[in-house]
Amino acid sequence: MTAIPETSAAGAVPAPGSARGRRALGAGLLLAVGLLALAGPWLIDADPLRQDLRAALRGPGGGHPLGTDHLGRDMLARLAHAARLSLGLGAATVLTAAVPGVLLGLAAAWRGGAVDRALGALCASVMALPGLLLVLVLAGFAPGAFWPLYVGLALASWVEYFRVVRAVAASRLARPDVEAARLLGFGPAHVVRRHLLPDLVGPLATLMAFGLAATVVAVSSLSFVGIGLRPPTPEWGNMMTELLPYHAEAPLQLLMPGTLLFATVLGLALVCGREPS
Amino acid sequence: MTAAVEVSGLRVASAARVLVRPCSLELRAGEILVVLGETGSGKSLLAQAIMGTLPPELACAGRIVLGGEEVGHLPPAARRRLWGRRIALLPQEPWSALNPTMAAGGQVAEVHALLHGRPWAEARRRAASALAALGLGRAVGRHPFRLSGGMAQRVAIAATAATGAPVLLADEPTKGLDAGLRDEVAALLAAEAAGGAAVMVITHDVGLARRLGGRVAVMLDGEVVETGPAGEVIAAPRHAYTRLLLAADPETWAPAGAPAGARAAGATVLSARGLAKALGGRTLFSGLDLEVGAGGIVAVAGPSGCGKTTLGNVLLGLLAPDAGTVSRRPGTAAHRYQKIYQDPVAAFAPQATLRAALGDVVARHGLSWDAAARLLSAMRVPDGLLDRRPAQVSGGELQRVALARALLVDPVFLFADEATSRLDPLTQKQVMDLLNETVAERRLAVLMVTHDPALARGMASRTVRLEMPSPRDALYFGPGPGDSG
Repeated sequence: MTAIPETSAAGAVPAPGSARGRRALGAGLLLAVGLLALAGPWLIDADPLRQDLRAALRGPGGGHPLGTDHLGRDMLARLAHAARLSLGLGAATVLTAAVPGVLLGLAAAWRGGAVDRALGALCASVMALPGLLLVLVLAGFAPGAFWPLYVGLALASWVEYFRVVRAVAASRLARPDVEAARLLGFGPAHVVRRHLLPDLVGPLATLMAFGLAATVVAVSSLSFVGIGLRPPTPEWGNMMTELLPYHAEAPLQLLMPGTLLFATVLGLALVCGREPS
Repeated sequence: MTAAVEVSGLRVASAARVLVRPCSLELRAGEILVVLGETGSGKSLLAQAIMGTLPPELACAGRIVLGGEEVGHLPPAARRRLWGRRIALLPQEPWSALNPTMAAGGQVAEVHALLHGRPWAEARRRAASALAALGLGRAVGRHPFRLSGGMAQRVAIAATAATGAPVLLADEPTKGLDAGLRDEVAALLAAEAAGGAAVMVITHDVGLARRLGGRVAVMLDGEVVETGPAGEVIAAPRHAYTRLLLAADPETWAPAGAPAGARAAGATVLSARGLAKALGGRTLFSGLDLEVGAGGIVAVAGPSGCGKTTLGNVLLGLLAPDAGTVSRRPGTAAHRYQKIYQDPVAAFAPQATLRAALGDVVARHGLSWDAAARLLSAMRVPDGLLDRRPAQVSGGELQRVALARALLVDPVFLFADEATSRLDPLTQKQVMDLLNETVAERRLAVLMVTHDPALARGMASRTVRLEMPSPRDALYFGPGPGDSG
C-alpha cells in the first residue's frame, strides 16, 4: 500500500518560491495579458490607427491612459490590439502544428513499420531546414502579410509534437495494459483515450505552452526586423522598431510592448515549466 | 565464544508507528539464521538496522553488538567503516547490484585491492580463482549484461565473500530467481556458513528456509512470533501464522495430479499443433503440441528466459508462430481468451481508477455493474478499493481485481503469466485458490506459466516443461531479474 504523504501546501497564500506560487504568478501574468487581448479592443474607445500629430509622444494621462506614440496614436489601444494579434496568431499556429503532429505521431507509433519510417523521414527532412528560414522564404512571396508567418511557423513546429507523441505512444503501446485492453475487446479509440492521452497531456501541455511562447517571440522578432507584420498594424515587435528612435523622449512607450512580451513568455514558462517532483 | 551478531531489544519506529517491535536475536559464527516473513513484516528493516542503512527518518533503539562491540549508537560514518570488514551485505537482484561497466573479475578483485589493500595483480589472481571455484572461470572477463541471473548472483556472492567479513547478511537473495537457481544460492550460502561466517538471510520463501536449515525466526507485523531450528519450526510450527505461511508454500500442496471427478478436462478449448517460434535468433520451441480442455489447468514450467511467456502469447494470438497452427473452439468470440499478467499494476491504465477500468469493460460488452459487483465480492475485493488507482492497491488485491476483470467477459480460456510470482506466499495461495475455484465453477481452461515447479505440480493436471534453448545462448541472452521470458 502506498501512502501518499501530504505536503504542507494548504496555506491560503502560496509562498512565492514554491511550485504553486510560481504557477499562480504565471497564471496571473497570463490572465492579465489575456484580458487585455480579449477585452481591451472592446473596452478601449480609441482607434489604434488614428493619428494625432499634435498629441505625439504624450506621457500617460489625459485621454490616453498609457500615453501616445510618435504619431499620436493611443498606446493602450495599440498594445491591446497587438496582444490580441500575437496571442491569436500564436494560438492558431500552435493548434495548427499540434493537431497534425499529434495525429501523425499516434499513427506512426500505432502502425509502425513502413508508415513509421515514412513519417520519420518526413519529420527529419523538415527538421533539416531551420524553422525561421522557412518563414523567411514564405515571407518573400507576400511581404508584410499575415499568412506566411502562420503557415511557416506551423510547418516548422509540427515535428516537435510528432516526435514527442511518437516516442511516448510507442513505449506506452508496448505495455501490458494496452495488450490487456485489446484482449478485452477495446478498440483504438478507447486505447488512445484511456491509455495514451493521460500520459500525453503533461508533455503536450508543456510543449504547447513553450510553442506559444516561441511563436509570440518569433512573430515579434520578425516584425522587429521588418520581415513580419508591417506598420501601421500594431504588433509588439514593429511597435518597438517604430519607437526605437524616440528612446530618449519616450522611454516608457518603448518599454511597454517589450514588457507585455516578457510577461507573456514568463507567464507561460511559469505555468508549464515542470517541477521535478 | 561470543556471538557474531547479538541484537537485544531492537525497535524501529517511524514518527507515526512502531515498525519493528523490540526483538532479540543471536547468531554465532558458522550459523545460519533465516528471518521469514511477508512484505511489510519488518524483516528488511531488521536487516537494515543491523547493517546501519535505515532511512534517517526512522528511529532505532536497542543494542546491536557485532563481534563483541556495541555498534548501535555509532554515527553513520562509523557504521559505514564496518561494512565489508565486520559485516557484508549480499544485495537482492544481483543484476542491478553489479556494476554494469565492469567485468565480473574486476568486481571481485576490487574488494581485495580496495578493502584489503592487496596489490592489483594479486587481487586479480584471487578473484579469478574464487570465480573459478564457483564454476565461473570463463566469466571473469564478462560484463554483467553477458551473465545470466544465476551467474550474476554467484559473482555477487563471490564479491561479498571476498570481504571476509565474519557476518554475511543476505536480503531476499532469491528474489526473481527460478527454482534451480534458488537451490544453487542456498547451497552457496550454506557453504559460506560452513566456512565459518555467520549468515543471516531475509526471505519470504519458505522453500529457501527449508534448504538452508539453521535457525528460523518468523516475523509478523514487526514482531518475531516464532524462533527455532528450521527443521522443528517447519515440521511442527507452534504459531498460527507460521502454519499459514507453511501451508502457503506450494511444495506442501497436494499435487493436482490426475484429473479426478469434476476436475476432469472437458471439451478441448484450445489446441496447438507443431508450434515453433524463434526470437532473437534462438529457437524457443519447435514441434510443440498442446491441448487445453475446459475445466483443466495446464502448466508451462521452465527456467527464466526459456520462452514460456512467448508460448502463451502465441496461443493467445498475440504473436504469430513461425510454424504450426493454433485452433480455438469454433464459435467463441475473440475476447473470451484472456490473460492475467505477472505485474498487475502494469495491466491497468495507470491514471484511471479501478472502478473506471471495470466500468469500461461493463460498458464495452453491454453488461450490468451488478455482474461486476458479484465477481468482485466473489474475489473478496472490498468496494472501497475501487476508487483507487492501480498503483495505490497492493499486488494481491490488484491481481484479484485483474482476475475479476478477465472473468467479467466470460472467458473460456485464461493465460496466467506468472500471475503470482511477485506476490507474497500467503497472497499467492489466496489467488491460486480463487483461480482453482473459478476453474471448477466455470469450466475455464487455464494455461499457467510459472518458474516454480512446485506451484505447477500443485495447480496443474499437466505440465509442459520448456528447456533453455542451448547453454551457450543462455549466457548471452540470460534473463533479467523478474523476467519471465
